[in-house]
Amino acid sequence: MTARTDPPRPSQPDGDDELLPCGRSLAEVWDLREQEKHDPHLEGCLHCRRAVDELAVLETSVRRLREQSSTAEAYDARALTHRIMDVVRLELRPGRPLPLGEPDEDLWIMESAAARTVRAAAETVRGVRAGSCRITLERLPGREAPLIDVRLEIHAPASAPLQDLAEQVRRSVLTAVDGTLGMVLNGIDIRITDLLDAADEPGEGTDR
Amino acid sequence: MPLAPEQAASAVGEDRSDTDDTLLVVRAAEGDEEAFAVLVRLHAPTLVRMAARMLGNVPEAEDAVQDALISAWRKLPEFQRQSTFRTWVYRIVTNRCLNVLRARRPVDHLDAADQVAAPEHTVSPARIAESHAAVDELQTALTALSAEQRACWVLRELDGQSYEFIAQAVGISQEAVRARVFRARRSLTQQLGAWR
Amino acid sequence: MNGTAHIDEVARAVLGVEGVAFLKPGVAQQVRSALAGTGRAGATRASGLRMSRSGGGGEGTWDVDVHIVVLGEARAVDVARGTRAAVAECLRRMFPETTAPARITVTVTGLL
Repeated sequence: MTARTDPPRPSQPDGDDELLPCGRSLAEVWDLREQEKHDPHLEGCLHCRRAVDELAVLETSVRRLREQSSTAEAYDARALTHRIMDVVRLELRPGRPLPLGEPDEDLWIMESAAARTVRAAAETVRGVRAGSCRITLERLPGREAPLIDVRLEIHAPASAPLQDLAEQVRRSVLTAVDGTLGMVLNGIDIRITDLLDAADEPGEGTDR
Repeated sequence: MPLAPEQAASAVGEDRSDTDDTLLVVRAAEGDEEAFAVLVRLHAPTLVRMAARMLGNVPEAEDAVQDALISAWRKLPEFQRQSTFRTWVYRIVTNRCLNVLRARRPVDHLDAADQVAAPEHTVSPARIAESHAAVDELQTALTALSAEQRACWVLRELDGQSYEFIAQAVGISQEAVRARVFRARRSLTQQLGAWR
Repeated sequence: MNGTAHIDEVARAVLGVEGVAFLKPGVAQQVRSALAGTGRAGATRASGLRMSRSGGGGEGTWDVDVHIVVLGEARAVDVARGTRAAVAECLRRMFPETTAPARITVTVTGLL
């Protein structure tokens, strides 16, 4: 008689667990095996050994199925990515329009486009990676031109002198916002939110 | 069309850590669709593999991953980042797969067993022949599991995830995951044993 | 000249501005290209460009809203200014009898 041909009664109606003839629960026996814990009872108990053997047979088939279904290494995600991005581009979140040039010119740039320029400018500084970029607009009474402020979060290389690095990023962003966009900034707030070890630092050109 | 960021992502490789993800996630949440494209490109292969194991075939898996990632783009601004992006999208894909499995009628289960997610692989022909029968048996046995059992079992046994991860991905307690995996194993050993 | 022809004419003027990559694709065109897997150049003609005329007859003020994507090497504000000038010039050419200045809004939606 084995646990298989003479299945013990489930301890619960939905079969959550069942007791082997030796009195131990099947779930416990399998659990010890899964955790690779030493189980002294197993050596002397025919019922427990059979239960474990059954699981081992299943595991052999599972291993083969796992090998057969390992598509990820070979899977080319380009076509799927294209399909997904085609839909995403119908649902863009461009943010708010921000004024370009002089206040009365009625020329605008969408926030996401401006943020992209800001992040790219920050990342020209070696080892810097840009994260959140918020561009805020404040209208003061009695002043026609709104104040535009950039708040940028970056990850910086731990090895760099942070004061200098922040200054480099600030200059780079200012140059790009003026030179590439033509937007007049009131101020830039740069926050270093993480320091990257040398090992984490992106190599040149790995990202863009 | 703007330059295709899908292509820009190819040099990144798949070993990017969750830390690298956080920057991309923040940017994508702020509307940077190119950052999102990089995330898609990075995570799609593992997600498709997982979904194919869950559903038994690649085309349905791709549909599930496509729907899930588009829904992820929509939900990103509300993503609180209490979990990693990987766990979050795993959860969305898992839910998608659960819905597909639940919607299958029993007859579809048997059909699905024939469309095994087993593309070309590098195993010797002799070994393929030997293992085919056992794997077919297992595939058929899998169709008898409930959608929930199958999902937990696949994540544990084929995807090699921890119980903690599965609990987060499926949205149930670790104890409930363990119970489902146990029931799935019990059902599978009984089915395989019955035919031997 | 009908309305579509006017829009085509203004769109051509905008596309002739140095630094303009294209008019922002409208949703309809994006759906078409998503379905067909291609973007037809001709399909952009009216997307990213809205024109309306307030007041009656041929005398009302033109209201033009242009959304453009700008080439990376150009300065966005200069391209936007060039776009507004090109639209104004095009309207003067097409409607010499209209004296009221057009209200032209230019928005840069992307940079290549």
